Amino acid sequence: MRLLFLMLLMGLAIFLQVTLLNFFPLFGVKPDLILMLVVFNSFLKGSREGALVGLLGGVFIDLANGSYIGMNSLALMIVGYLVGFTESKIYKDSSIIIIFLVWVASLLDQLLTYILLYSMQVQISPGVALFRVMLPTATYTAVLVPFFYHRFYSSSQAGLLRGKNI
Amino acid sequence: MGLLVVLMLVLMNYTESGRVRVSPMETVLRDILAPVQGLTMSLGHRLRGLVSFPFTLYNAAEENQLMKKKLAELENTARQNNEISSENERLKRLLDFKTTVAPAVGFEVTGAAIIGKDPGNWFGIITINKGASQGLRPNMTVINGQGLVGRITSVSSTTSEVLLITDPRSGVSALIQETRAPGMVEGVASFPGQVRMVHIPVEAEPSKGQVVVTSGFGSMYPKGIPIGWVQDSRREPSGLFNSAIVVPFVDFNRIEEVLVITGSAALQEEPNIALLPYPWGEGRADNRGRSPGIVNAGEEAGLVVQ
Repeated sequence: MRLLFLMLLMGLAIFLQVTLLNFFPLFGVKPDLILMLVVFNSFLKGSREGALVGLLGGVFIDLANGSYIGMNSLALMIVGYLVGFTESKIYKDSSIIIIFLVWVASLLDQLLTYILLYSMQVQISPGVALFRVMLPTATYTAVLVPFFYHRFYSSSQAGLLRGKNI
Repeated sequence: MGLLVVLMLVLMNYTESGRVRVSPMETVLRDILAPVQGLTMSLGHRLRGLVSFPFTLYNAAEENQLMKKKLAELENTARQNNEISSENERLKRLLDFKTTVAPAVGFEVTGAAIIGKDPGNWFGIITINKGASQGLRPNMTVINGQGLVGRITSVSSTTSEVLLITDPRSGVSALIQETRAPGMVEGVASFPGQVRMVHIPVEAEPSKGQVVVTSGFGSMYPKGIPIGWVQDSRREPSGLFNSAIVVPFVDFNRIEEVLVITGSAALQEEPNIALLPYPWGEGRADNRGRSPGIVNAGEEAGLVVQ
């Protein structure tokens, strides 16, 4: 049930990223809601589930992308796995911590994507990648965290997202 | 008593309606009373207002609710009207292009709406609402009234995916229109505000404002489609070529409809550049360096139709 609801949320997130969020670009980029969901979930549920949900989120993006299928799945799986290590170490009520965590995780995800793109001969200058894609995306995504995190957190405590780890 | 009755009758007669003059006593009385009357009347008005205020307030509250509702309805209608008006404006521009510019440069085009964009920030890909069943095929060129948008990379029965010229995987063979210097226009990540023209011969340094058009050299893009204008240029690190930052004519942040070049029509005569809108023409047939139309836009449109 929890997994189903998570997938529903991811479906909604990808739909927004493909459609509506294109009308609200900040510094020319849109936020990465899928990554946000993956980080929230990993932060609350740990590495094992983090990796699995990261993989699922990546599949959603890859399918919507239609090219380089597997690239986002791999990157988000790694991010989900790594973020999961913070599960038992960090206080979960603080928005500041999760904002910072999402920002770092987004940078890591973009860096992994950049490396994977580079390995597939898609060469983008590091300056452009860092200042036009990575930093703006990470910042925009992190700025939106306070609007969603507490809802996600309370739902995972006593709502539709409550339940045993997958 | 009788005297009083008589006096009253006389007075009645004296003060009958229609008399022009009033008596001196009346004049004095009126003059003295006028300010007091005025004050009393004004006080009366205020008092009436005060007494009826709660009732007015009740009515006003009700009226206010009604007004708010009406205002919301009107605002909604105004928003819808604005949306329809701007859509009309965009479609009119596309229709103008389709009926005037496209035939003049020899393009057969079909319109399509954008229904989705790439979910990430690395690539420039859009999805349009026409596909194989409408006759679209991979590698067809996509434009709009401002210039080159990209090319179709894959089609389903009712949708097509378009690789924008801003995508880092996109490469368009291009020319600086004025100097005829060749180069390759590449995307800069998904950044919609600029593309890069690379491999420009070192002896042909581009200047700010020069127009870049498709060259048609061994390319799937027809010749002469406006791409953008040069914003800045520099020597490439190898020292063998120049590169330039090019600002696309197409506003990729606001693009909502596109035209797909589905074929080419034989030109009966040279396009009249003077009649074509910028950047396809500039209204000056003698200005060969500034009007993309002058490079015979569309002369190789047949390249996209197998």
